[in-house]
Amino acid sequence: MAQFPERPSAWGGLATLLDTPQKRYAAIAVILVAMAVAPYVFGSYGTVILTNALLYVLLALGLNIVVGYAGLLDLGFAAFFAVGAYTVGITTLHFGLNFWLALPLAILLAIIAGIVIGAPTLRLRSDYLAIVTLGFGEIVRITARNLRETGGASGLIGIDSPWLFGWHIRTPLDFYYVFCVLAILGVIASVRLANSRLGRAWLYVRHDEDAAEAMGINRVKVKLAAYIVGAIYGSIGGAFFAANLGAISPESFSFRQSVLILMAVILGGMGKIPGVILGAFIVILAPELLRDFGDLRLLIFAVGLLLIMLFRPSGIWPARSKSR
Amino acid sequence: MRNVMKTAAGLALAIVLGVPAMAQDTLTIGIMVPTTGSEATYGQDMANAVNLAIGEINAAGGVLGKQLTSTIGDDGCDAQLAVNAASKLAASGVVGVVGGYCSGATVPTLKIYGDAKIPLIIPAANSTKLIPENPGNAFMINSTGNDQVAKAIEYFNGKGVKKIAIINQGDAYSQDLADLTKKNWEAAGTTVTDIEVTNKRGPYYSAVVTAITSANPDAVFWTAYYADGGLLIRQLRERGYQGLIAVGDGSNSPELFKIAGPAAEGVIAFSNPTAEFLPEAKAFAEAYQKQFGAAPGPYSTLSYDAMKLLAWALNTAGTTDSAKVIETLQGANFTDSISGPISFTPEKTLARSNFVVLEGKGGAWTLAQ
Repeated sequence: MAQFPERPSAWGGLATLLDTPQKRYAAIAVILVAMAVAPYVFGSYGTVILTNALLYVLLALGLNIVVGYAGLLDLGFAAFFAVGAYTVGITTLHFGLNFWLALPLAILLAIIAGIVIGAPTLRLRSDYLAIVTLGFGEIVRITARNLRETGGASGLIGIDSPWLFGWHIRTPLDFYYVFCVLAILGVIASVRLANSRLGRAWLYVRHDEDAAEAMGINRVKVKLAAYIVGAIYGSIGGAFFAANLGAISPESFSFRQSVLILMAVILGGMGKIPGVILGAFIVILAPELLRDFGDLRLLIFAVGLLLIMLFRPSGIWPARSKSR
Repeated sequence: MRNVMKTAAGLALAIVLGVPAMAQDTLTIGIMVPTTGSEATYGQDMANAVNLAIGEINAAGGVLGKQLTSTIGDDGCDAQLAVNAASKLAASGVVGVVGGYCSGATVPTLKIYGDAKIPLIIPAANSTKLIPENPGNAFMINSTGNDQVAKAIEYFNGKGVKKIAIINQGDAYSQDLADLTKKNWEAAGTTVTDIEVTNKRGPYYSAVVTAITSANPDAVFWTAYYADGGLLIRQLRERGYQGLIAVGDGSNSPELFKIAGPAAEGVIAFSNPTAEFLPEAKAFAEAYQKQFGAAPGPYSTLSYDAMKLLAWALNTAGTTDSAKVIETLQGANFTDSISGPISFTPEKTLARSNFVVLEGKGGAWTLAQ
């Protein structure tokens, strides 16, 4: 009979918790059960904000690949999010396309967008790269605001919610579970990528580009791959975001959005998956949980963020890995 | 399985704690307005007016024999935040909601209130985009963009204006108003020289100003909000534009004069009825001034009326059952309001136009002659 661990602390005990497969499965089972019952515990409002938090988990995981794994500072991540949302919005509204056909199209367009932004910026580093990505994010938003096809400033209204094998995904509860699945898939893909050959290549490029290239890593390919994978995450998030809200407008893809996602990544700890998840939850849930403070809400939130960055400059998640 | 059991016990505890303590002797009204962000001034004003109305209703015996309380949901004038705020209000057991200032943020909340079957009275948001999205429980007591456009065109024609430039800020409300104006203005056979979109919060408008001064239209119509409108008006006058400047109902705040300074003299504003121009609203304005130490803002009268209307509907229906309340509202002929009688079209919009024309004089708005 395997010994189940005593209730581990969420902080330091993670590595010891995960040292045998049984413990790992137990932890996963607890998380899955918690995710499954959460809507019934927290009610309909809780479900809506948890869904929102899970969306940000997905987006933050995507940005984490660009920023955390490959070390490319991206201030325009909301652009990929917008590409996904608008592709689904336009193709389902104007061309009557099924959501599940629109989704791969959204991913394809996001890949193209990832190449468009990635290819010309590969020679840029740090600050300069950040400025270009910032510009790219704004270009996408302002384009969306001025085109007739994207509905201009009013955006698109009346996007249908999808059907899946006879299941009409329409209530907040349905979408909560959909985003649960997306977040889980996102985590699995992130973990697998981090441990892959490509993941190690990202690590080398992040630490020393020139040395990595000298070791035979194709710098261009590897960086482009980071943008593309990040873009895929963003567009999937955007596609389901559009289906969930039923209405999208350019204001949802502002610079603030990019910053919020980046904040989730930095707050939790760049490159660390549990940290990024935690960061996404903090960024979304904290302002909501502070609603009862009324006007002071955003002030308290901002002070909290400053304190976190002061005391844990490399993110909340412990930097020291105990498993090594 | 011990940790699973502990988790289960923890969850059970959370369920017990999570159930809100519902006091049975009060009814809660939700107020959904922006209390943070660029439109917070208006939102706070509206919330104050609703609370003032609640105070008066409670003093007069409450609704259905119960006292009213209110809870504010901050929508931040942002679609995503608005969805969160609306979900929170819907889950907190409110009997009705008064709110909706930014049209773009109000649209995605309609479904939430619709699914939760909560009567919603929208005092300010008036984009025509709201109408097809209404699941049937939302009532707009502000005249819609159509009414404002009719008033604006009537005014421009009266002044012999032939060419206008329309400037919006690229958000749902101002673009809707701009597009409607352009459509109706051109349908009347007159020309729009220019339709410009500025970006939100640009402190400098030189590109737009240059475009306008070179096209030199008889009138400029700013359809967005006062904060940027004030800056634009000042820069237009500084660059020597002499024509008529008109602003939509998002810019009729007294704040416009603080931002634009003397440049706002002679600016025309189309406005829904605000307290200072309604003889019936004198008592309201005084009570508001006394309680909050400031003059009531542009949407406060409508918010006050919205709350009074909701209380009336609850009392008339004799129940908090939303279907009955909604039915009562649909058939309303409510005259106990300070901004004029309220009844609804089948589309659940105000059955009459309530727009007035204002003119900036000596740093304040006065009714235009």
